[in-house]
Amino acid sequence: MQKSGMKRALLGAAIAALAMNAHAAQAASATGTATARILRQITLTKTSDLQYATIISGATASTVAVSTAGAATCGAGLTCTGTTTAGSFNVQGTSGAVVLVGGDSSVTLNGSLGGTMSSTLTYSAPNITLGASGGSFQVGGTLSVGANQASGDYSGTFNVTANYQ
Amino acid sequence: MFRFLKAFGLLSAAALGAAAPPALAAGDLLVAPTRVILDGSRGTEVVLNNIGSAPATYRISLEIKRMTAEGGLDEIAGENVTPAERAALDMIVFSPRRVTLPPNQPQVVRVGVRVPEGLPPGEYRAHMLFRSVPDAAPAAAAGAKPAGTGVSIALTPIYGITIPVIVRVGDPGAEAAIGAAWMSEGADGPAFNFDLSRTGSRSVYGDIEVTRPGVAEPLLVARGIAVYPEVGARKVSLRVAGEVAAKLKGPVHIRYSEDREIGGGTIDEAERVVK
Repeated sequence: MQKSGMKRALLGAAIAALAMNAHAAQAASATGTATARILRQITLTKTSDLQYATIISGATASTVAVSTAGAATCGAGLTCTGTTTAGSFNVQGTSGAVVLVGGDSSVTLNGSLGGTMSSTLTYSAPNITLGASGGSFQVGGTLSVGANQASGDYSGTFNVTANYQ
Repeated sequence: MFRFLKAFGLLSAAALGAAAPPALAAGDLLVAPTRVILDGSRGTEVVLNNIGSAPATYRISLEIKRMTAEGGLDEIAGENVTPAERAALDMIVFSPRRVTLPPNQPQVVRVGVRVPEGLPPGEYRAHMLFRSVPDAAPAAAAGAKPAGTGVSIALTPIYGITIPVIVRVGDPGAEAAIGAAWMSEGADGPAFNFDLSRTGSRSVYGDIEVTRPGVAEPLLVARGIAVYPEVGARKVSLRVAGEVAAKLKGPVHIRYSEDREIGGGTIDEAERVVK
């Protein structure tokens, strides 16, 4: 799938190169050359979501932490069920390229039945060096659950970017 | 094959009914090239491709980021930009700014520059952000929730790629120098570090190669390392595997060279003994 994505990018680039070349040829006349540029590319794909699974709140405020490796730590007084996972992203590009990765350090979640919660977010690394098969980074976090937090489905969005220097 | 598996995933999710998994990576994206330099007269094109499995809407915008001494990029809010950064935002023009693409559909984004008259020579830079716009807020989260009690959580990342768009006015120059090099041990494993300083009126950009004297095969290659003009020096910290970390200790040769696309000439090289 990614292979065909790359082909398409190259196709687009080749068209761009041809168009530019035609323009240059008009200006300078003379020699006819065919050019094709191959562009360096970067892809970013999400391979898993950050999942806190399901939590039953207790009488006191507590926290649930999911490490960037996906391991959960259920705070005192809480009951945690289901499978937790760390968010994970895959980056592909030039082998050896260093890509800076990161995103928001916290997120607010709104409950379907009212109420809010907040979660801090941590990233497995500030940068990754791509290997031949790309590289990946993970997002973990610590969710603060209030005392007798209103039940419901809580959702929130946070920003993550892969930055070329 | 991969696509087939994803399709299968969709089917099985449908079969299971209630517990829909999180969105199957709608919003995955490809951007090429990974760096744009404009000399003030001619524009260029950047290709954005939807490599996800579903149609996605992408928003394209410019942001200001500043390099930190640690080598990271800090996003700067609109109200805090300097006049030079504001000038960069104003002179870089691009189109489209929002596009909806079916899977595997590329879109060419045209990027141009309008340098205002009387702009002081130098380097101006903004970072072009390509980001998928999420669909409506995610409904019920994944996983079955015990009736009546408990909270379930759905966190949706809005993810994207940024590439620098650099405008050079006049012919600014710069040099770089490799400083001290050392190994460190972090929570996520060993890292090779060195200082990289810069002088002049523009950024430096290139590839790092670390070799052991007398050994042809490089111990470490890191491409696309920049030092932007807002910092005089930065730390370069590269995580390495354990066996590479052991080899890096001792005398090494560090070479910082220009991008292969513009000849790969040496910017600076140095012999260091790594502890």
